[in-house]
Amino acid sequence: MKTSELLGSTRRGFLTVTGAAAALALTGSLPEIERADAGATGRPDRRDPFTLGVASGDPLPDAVVIWTRLAPEPLAPFGGMDRRPVQVQWQVAEDEHFRRVVRHGTTQARPEASHSVHVDVRGLRPWRHYWYRFRVAGHYSPAGRTRTAPAYDASVPVMTMAFASCQAWWEGWYTAYADLARREHDVVFFLGDYIYEFGIDRGVRPHSNEDYVTRETVTLDEYRNRYASYKVDPDLQAAHASAPWVVTQDDHEVVNNWADEAHPSAPPAQFLVRRANAFRAYWEHMPLRLAQLPKGPDMQLYRRIRYGRLAEFSVLDTRQYRSDQAYGDGSKPPGPESLDPARTLTGDAQERWLLDGWTASRARWNVLAQQNALAQLDVKDGPEILVPMDTWDGYAASRARVLGGAYRRKVRNLVSIGGDLHRSVASDLKLDFADPDSPTVGSEFVGTSITSGLDGMDNDAGGLTLLRENPHIKFGNFQRGYVSCTITPRQWISDYRVVDRVTVPNGTVSTRAKLLVEDGRPGIQTV
Amino acid sequence: MSRTALTLTATVAATVVAATTFSMLTATTSPAGRPSGVQVTANPQQLSLVGLPCFPARLDLTMTNTQPDSRYADLTLTPTGPLQLSREVFSSYLPATDPDQPVSAPVEVRVPRDAQPGQYRIDLEADGTKVSVPVQVEPLPPKTPGSNVALGEQATASSTHGNFAVCGAVDGDKDSEHWDTLTGWNDGTRAVFPDTYDVALATSTTINRVELYTLDSAKYPAASNGLRDWDVQVRSGINDWRTVAEVRGNTLGHVTSTFAPVAADAVRILALAGNGNTYSRIVELEVYGG
Repeated sequence: MKTSELLGSTRRGFLTVTGAAAALALTGSLPEIERADAGATGRPDRRDPFTLGVASGDPLPDAVVIWTRLAPEPLAPFGGMDRRPVQVQWQVAEDEHFRRVVRHGTTQARPEASHSVHVDVRGLRPWRHYWYRFRVAGHYSPAGRTRTAPAYDASVPVMTMAFASCQAWWEGWYTAYADLARREHDVVFFLGDYIYEFGIDRGVRPHSNEDYVTRETVTLDEYRNRYASYKVDPDLQAAHASAPWVVTQDDHEVVNNWADEAHPSAPPAQFLVRRANAFRAYWEHMPLRLAQLPKGPDMQLYRRIRYGRLAEFSVLDTRQYRSDQAYGDGSKPPGPESLDPARTLTGDAQERWLLDGWTASRARWNVLAQQNALAQLDVKDGPEILVPMDTWDGYAASRARVLGGAYRRKVRNLVSIGGDLHRSVASDLKLDFADPDSPTVGSEFVGTSITSGLDGMDNDAGGLTLLRENPHIKFGNFQRGYVSCTITPRQWISDYRVVDRVTVPNGTVSTRAKLLVEDGRPGIQTV
Repeated sequence: MSRTALTLTATVAATVVAATTFSMLTATTSPAGRPSGVQVTANPQQLSLVGLPCFPARLDLTMTNTQPDSRYADLTLTPTGPLQLSREVFSSYLPATDPDQPVSAPVEVRVPRDAQPGQYRIDLEADGTKVSVPVQVEPLPPKTPGSNVALGEQATASSTHGNFAVCGAVDGDKDSEHWDTLTGWNDGTRAVFPDTYDVALATSTTINRVELYTLDSAKYPAASNGLRDWDVQVRSGINDWRTVAEVRGNTLGHVTSTFAPVAADAVRILALAGNGNTYSRIVELEVYGG
């Protein structure tokens, strides 16, 4: 979408970032020259401001973003803060006791960014663990553990990675996150639906029917409040504090099944205001760099994260540039509209960026970190084919350009990781899904939801249909959980961690399946 | 009491544009000397309301960016006296467009039943622009024989769909053509029955008649979208719910149930089935005695 066209060519000015927010995010870029004076401008405050925990994200070989937000009363207007900037001190150490502090500084938490802090800590050493924390007015934040990426040309013998999605707060406890945190991965990918925008009036958790939960989020204050209501969860905080996260959005960070500037709830100009509000609150609450700071309704979210020569992750944004869903969304037979080559899930620029990146890649594993399923999902028993119009199935030509592009470029070890479906699905990615004999181009691991959909079961009727109708699907499960991966130059192992029950606290987490991809041999194997 | 006595809200459609102020007090967001770039309006310009728990007055807040650059802004709401607001802040992205693009959000205003009648106000401020909305709290209308004793009283439900408000079925609006404007109640569990919709009466009241308006519009006729089967139940003191009337196989938009006079603290519609087997939908529930 070209927002400038949408807003009119006679508009009076360019979309600009508020100067203060830009300054806020930039203060971290040169920590070594910052003064370490306290100089807090706020009044002394006995309340703990660190109710939303800490986070880190988007690791580079020499840098990582560290994040927190000051919110002594997380669900009150402005998080219980007054409208003044507050000085926040931060430290990064080589040890968890902060005896060897290697970087430190002071930054400002500003009211116009919800008193969030995003410090882009530079000057770190590659592929090593660090611990970080914040201090304001005598309060220390909890410490977070993070890890930088390896040097770009490094041979990496092994890395561990987890991915997760879809964390409907009212539908269960985040037991999966407690398990994810204990396993201390090198990096965590979050593939969308961090919050849900709609109002609900009941759930399995206490306070599921409070006023702030029943309201649909539309305005910026409402999105901010929704993030805070999720981020107070201790297991989610532990998961953030255990590893750097690389996040992308799906639909519910804005509104169900939105597509570019289109949503049935409002005309485009009005919807773009809502999108801008949603994006702003998202950035404020995620460990993202200034490069991802939204400019109104536009946010540069697709980006590449590299782990030496071992793995390269292309993190996609399949909402912001997509064509509207074919045939009015839902599950439909493929037809001229869903197969139309003019339609796109990624937008042209992102597709070019992806394919060009693969052309240049020297990585052993080339990973698509995206929102849903690349694999075809026939959801109808029998000869008739019904596929979801909101996934890549509804954008078949877009998928063919991506998978065909990978095939022609002989991309080494293409692996897609996804979410959105609220079920685990592991598939061979075929050049042509209609032909079981066509080449397998890559492998896909779709992870289930953290909680969305309540407890689930080993396999429901829909899951059994998927397994029967789609020979390229090698594994399916309908419980809640996440995927924990161990990647070496020789193999990729996906450990599907599932929770017996999320509708009660203290469920039990276990491995439901371990699936394997070997170097040079595309497709899913069982261990 | 009559319904018109409760239709107090002044529906003056004109918007008020506040004079821009240059205030030192708001230096955090508006350095002294810089004109505010946000126009603030409230619609209606003034409110009237009574101390009924399910009868909020609605105010629509609008911010408009009058400067050349797109920006974000926070509008704060400060009530006086007994006024209770559904939000104390309205923050939004404000695009710079030509023509201007106003951005709006609603706020619900309530007062407790025992609120002192009188003149109060809600002070609005965004980036130095200040607007004050007068709010008149009226005395509770007297209950007279023949009044609908459910009107504006506290409603609760087994669930409420996210697009609807639980108070929608006691708001005095029984017109099904207003269905999509939060004026009715729709449960939140599709194709799952029973559902319950309860109204707690202000005090124990002898009642003998319930009038239920289910969805029945040109687009959504009752025969395919309305409530089909339900029980009318009453609760008195510490007793359990007791069924006083049953309706089965309904296809109409308006159904009157009469029963022997009974003292009730609360009235419940136990919804057992809907035409089309989807949701329970009540546009308005009225309760009468004598």
